[in-house]
Amino acid sequence: MSVAELKERHMAATETVNSLRDRLRQQRLLLLDTDVAGYARSQGKTPVTFGPTDLVCCRTLQGHTGKVHSLDWTPERNRIVSASQDGRLIVWNALTSQKTHAIKLPCAWVMTCAFSPNGQSVACGGLDSMCSIFNLNTQTDNDGHMPVSRMLSGHKGYVSSCQYVPDEDTHLITASGDHTCVLWDITTGLRTSVFGGEFQSGHTSDVVSVSINGSNSRMFVSGSCDSTARLWDTRVASRAVRTFHGHQGDVNTVKFFPDGNRFGTGSDDGTCRLFDIRTGHQLQVYNQPHGDNEAPHVTSIAFSISGRLLFASYNNGDCYVWDTLLAQVVLDLGSLQNSHDGRISCLGLSADGSALCTGSWDTNLKIWAFGGHRKVI
Amino acid sequence: MTGLKGNGSPPSLPLPRPKSPPEYADLYRKRREMAKVQMLEREIGFLEEELKSIAGLQPASRPCKELAEFVTCNADPLIPVRTKKIRRSCCLWKWLCGASCFNVSSICCCCCQSHLERTRSHDCTTCSCSNPCKGCPTPKCNHCFCCSSRCSNKPTCSWTCCIPKCPSCLTCPSTRCVCNVKCLEGNMCSCCTKSCCNSCLFCY
Repeated sequence: MSVAELKERHMAATETVNSLRDRLRQQRLLLLDTDVAGYARSQGKTPVTFGPTDLVCCRTLQGHTGKVHSLDWTPERNRIVSASQDGRLIVWNALTSQKTHAIKLPCAWVMTCAFSPNGQSVACGGLDSMCSIFNLNTQTDNDGHMPVSRMLSGHKGYVSSCQYVPDEDTHLITASGDHTCVLWDITTGLRTSVFGGEFQSGHTSDVVSVSINGSNSRMFVSGSCDSTARLWDTRVASRAVRTFHGHQGDVNTVKFFPDGNRFGTGSDDGTCRLFDIRTGHQLQVYNQPHGDNEAPHVTSIAFSISGRLLFASYNNGDCYVWDTLLAQVVLDLGSLQNSHDGRISCLGLSADGSALCTGSWDTNLKIWAFGGHRKVI
Repeated sequence: MTGLKGNGSPPSLPLPRPKSPPEYADLYRKRREMAKVQMLEREIGFLEEELKSIAGLQPASRPCKELAEFVTCNADPLIPVRTKKIRRSCCLWKWLCGASCFNVSSICCCCCQSHLERTRSHDCTTCSCSNPCKGCPTPKCNHCFCCSSRCSNKPTCSWTCCIPKCPSCLTCPSTRCVCNVKCLEGNMCSCCTKSCCNSCLFCY
């Protein structure tokens, strides 16, 4: 077959794909008899209300000298690891605000970090296209350098996001600018599976976020600059279980809902969305009108432990707290006293759901918790 | 000289015509196009499968209902609770606890413990309950290692209730810890003093 014939076949296939996607969209619309907010209103739900001192900034973690790009909590004990443009990882005791480790990285351009389930190791990745693992029990030298205990190399593009598989200190998943996600065996340093890529069905642009299902660690979701989110089964790397369309811009952040059957996304189109993994339905759009101005991009999201609250940070400094059920903004952390002075780039909830940590371009991290009384009348 | 005509002027040569470079076979281009076509055809297969499966799908109202039920059945430490309904459910929970809860760790909670205290002494700190009790008015403090589980200051002991203590020193507050400074730049660095705990990057 000649190149010209192949090009014709390519055009025809593209038309067929577009037509099928259109038909799918129409069929799905027929099944969208309600959204979450519509259902909640029909049940008489009222929005969550916050008093002025209900959610307060109770700690400010100072120490980075550059923008904070990523943070992660330990599954137990209240420690946080953060990664910054200053080329350092810092491990914090969130209760006391003390730093327990300050690790100078071999490559300063770090974009993501994660704590291992046992809290003994941290992983980070960035523009060096590698994921580096550090054992926190190893001493740093006088310059703050800590030896890398394992280097995971194989990506052909930057590492944008990483997360350890829950309850498995030896496996983690990375997302990359090379359009793939990879499941790694840390013990051997080898790739167990590659999701997507040149010859497999997967994302068609940079993958910038990943979230593993806490209820079923074989499932994970990825978000990409191709405007889609994809659900993957780690046992089947050849294709995504499902592709979720809807966003009109890069999907910068994905996070599983606490029940493990839904996940949220945040995008450059200014919206957050909630999808159901079993049916593929888009259950809710969280969109704040901005008039004629371009909608600010969503940089990071997190759900509260019950799922009732969706925390979403934006590139204009806002950090909205959405009532997930009623799709209303109930608070803006960005406007509260003692809030950040710059864009909030990352969010994370503590394992027990009692505190939210935000990381910002103002170089600080802040911890937010419930500061009011729970009144039982 | 050869080529010269009788009149002495040289024969005119044809004007040079630039030629296109010869076409070489671009084998990789063909392979790339083939790969793109194959991926698209695979995508067509996936989309057709999805279209078939969509016929049997439940409408969106079902997952919306599941989600709403999940959210309302789980307590959330970040959400203010101000309604009377809590009391009724708490009373019901306490009654249920009194009837059957003694050794069932999955429903053990401070609310249960307060009932158990009437029957036998029980230390809340040993409670293995991982799920917060829905109706419990005195959730166990999970965060302060300085105050007792029955925190007398505020019933909802949380991040903001207790002054966190320096891990090395049981009595001093963390912000002015004088006993746990390990400054790498000798004992003093330009941005911290002996009483500094947090501001110097290298102090930990």
